Amino acid sequence: MTGPISTAQSVADRVAGLRTDFDTSFAEPARTLDGETVELLAIGAGGRPYALRLDQASGVHPDRPVTALPTTLRALLGVAGFAGAVVPVYDLAALLGHAVTQQPRWLVLTAGTPSLALAFHELDHHLRVPVSDVIDDGGRKGYLRGVVRLPDGNRPIIDVPATRALVHQLAGHPYPQEESR
Amino acid sequence: MMGGRTYGSKLAAGVTATVALTLLSVVTSVAGLIIVVNAKDSAITAASQDLVRVERAGRVLEARLADFRGYLVYGTAEYAERTAAERTQLRSEFSTLRSSLSSGAANLLTEVEAAEERWAGAVEQVMARRASQDTNVDAAQLNEEIAVPLREALETSLAKLTTQVQADVASARKKSSQRAAQAIGLIIGLGVITVISAIVVAWRLSTNLRREVGAAVGHIQSSSAQLEAAASQQVTGGRDQASAMSEITTTISELLITSRQIADSAQRVSKIAEETEAAARSGDATIDQTRASMAAIRAQVDQIVQHMLALGEKSQQIGLVVDLVSELAEQTNILAINATIEASGAGEWGRRFAVVAEEIRKLADRTAASAKEIRALIEDVRGAVNTTVMATEIGAKAVDAGARQFDDATNSFREIVQLVSTTNDATREIELSTKQQTTAVEQVNVAASDTARVSRETEASAVQTKQTATHLSTLSGDLLELVGTGRR
Repeated sequence: MTGPISTAQSVADRVAGLRTDFDTSFAEPARTLDGETVELLAIGAGGRPYALRLDQASGVHPDRPVTALPTTLRALLGVAGFAGAVVPVYDLAALLGHAVTQQPRWLVLTAGTPSLALAFHELDHHLRVPVSDVIDDGGRKGYLRGVVRLPDGNRPIIDVPATRALVHQLAGHPYPQEESR
Repeated sequence: MMGGRTYGSKLAAGVTATVALTLLSVVTSVAGLIIVVNAKDSAITAASQDLVRVERAGRVLEARLADFRGYLVYGTAEYAERTAAERTQLRSEFSTLRSSLSSGAANLLTEVEAAEERWAGAVEQVMARRASQDTNVDAAQLNEEIAVPLREALETSLAKLTTQVQADVASARKKSSQRAAQAIGLIIGLGVITVISAIVVAWRLSTNLRREVGAAVGHIQSSSAQLEAAASQQVTGGRDQASAMSEITTTISELLITSRQIADSAQRVSKIAEETEAAARSGDATIDQTRASMAAIRAQVDQIVQHMLALGEKSQQIGLVVDLVSELAEQTNILAINATIEASGAGEWGRRFAVVAEEIRKLADRTAASAKEIRALIEDVRGAVNTTVMATEIGAKAVDAGARQFDDATNSFREIVQLVSTTNDATREIELSTKQQTTAVEQVNVAASDTARVSRETEASAVQTKQTATHLSTLSGDLLELVGTGRR
């Protein structure tokens, strides 16, 4: 009989803690993000965990309608509209060589040109990790570049420019000039 | 010849034959005697009458001769008359004699009569000469001359007649003696036949008697031996029967005690059955109360089910609201992410804005986590509600099944009540029957005692029968010896 009471008590404690944190946040001095951290987006594609650098994305969109195109490319899902621009949408799991089991829900609009949207299945969470947790071996391995160490395991980091280059190569276009932000 | 007849009929036939032969002998003897008597009578008659009359005629002749001689001497008329009278008597004797004489004698009588006639003529002449003279000399001389020869001739004839008559008498006696001999022979023959017949009959009867009576007595002897053996067995059987009957009597006495105990038990069972019936009838009210309680439980269970279903719906609505909160948290999170992305390209202010976006994202994460907890709790509640509804429905079904089973139990209970009533009746009948059975067993006990007594009497009778059979066997042996078979 003590379960619900203790649960209610813990919830009340949590509410009080949140309220305290929220109130004290206004009393703290203004702070800025330093350059020693990396913003990552933990995602799942084809049932595998991956990470995506947030500075290589220009927006995350759920449940965006995708218009299918007649194509022989298995990874090309179609095109979608983003702020008046038509952007091709590629399935990240298909590009990574995984079996396509279901329709991906999430789209990430990559930064840089030409515009490219990558579709994936799960958006786990947004995280900020120290630079030291990102292990960059320096070499590119296909679409991946480096690994981030997290408490729930290591996640390979998807390299968006390399992915764009490979997509262009799949589409039969000349390798574009890489632009970095 | 006598086969197939009874010994009595054979005896009667033999005796009848013997008696018939005896009667025939008697009749034949009587007839022979009569014949012999008649023959003898005729012989005696011949001897007595004819011979007497011949002799009497001789004496008359002698008397006439004497009177004639007297007349010759005295010449008186008296002698003459007497001589005439005696001649008349002589003629009468002759005529009487003629009727019974035989033919030969009759011829001789005729000669005698003729001689007498001649002598009488001579006598008359002599008498006439005497009458004419005073002396008898002349007459005597004449007499000597004519009468004496005639008288001698007459006497000779008379002697011949007498001889003839004597011969006739002898002949008649001989004839009668022959008849008698014949009769004696016949009687002797019949007697011999009768004796032989009697001997044959006696032999046959004796043989039959020996054979048949011997066989019958043999049968009687074997039968008496069998009877003796049977009587011995009967003695043993009667003894066994008597002992068995005494055991039966003892058993029946025990059975009587058991029957009385059963009767007492049946009475107690009857009383218990009556009490059970009363208790069962009082249980009816309890059954009705229990049924009402079960109906109330059923209604309460239905209400619980309804409330639980309503609770499930409410929790589902809460889930929808939580979905809304989750959606809001997700959208807030996405906005925060996109704000972070936008802030990263906005310089110093962008970095400060990124801090706010970070806080917003954390709040969104916490909100999503809380919504997730709420969802888990709601799932728990829904699971609990479903479990409760299922359990309650199972309970309702159990209550229904219990109600049906209780109806069945009620029906069974009422059947039990009826059966208890029936059992009560049956128990009363058993009690009554057991009492009757006890009475019957008492009667059987008395009858068994009588039967034991009769068995002992039968044993005694069998002993007596055995002794009688032994005696009969001895008598059969004696009778066989008497009959002549002689085997024992």
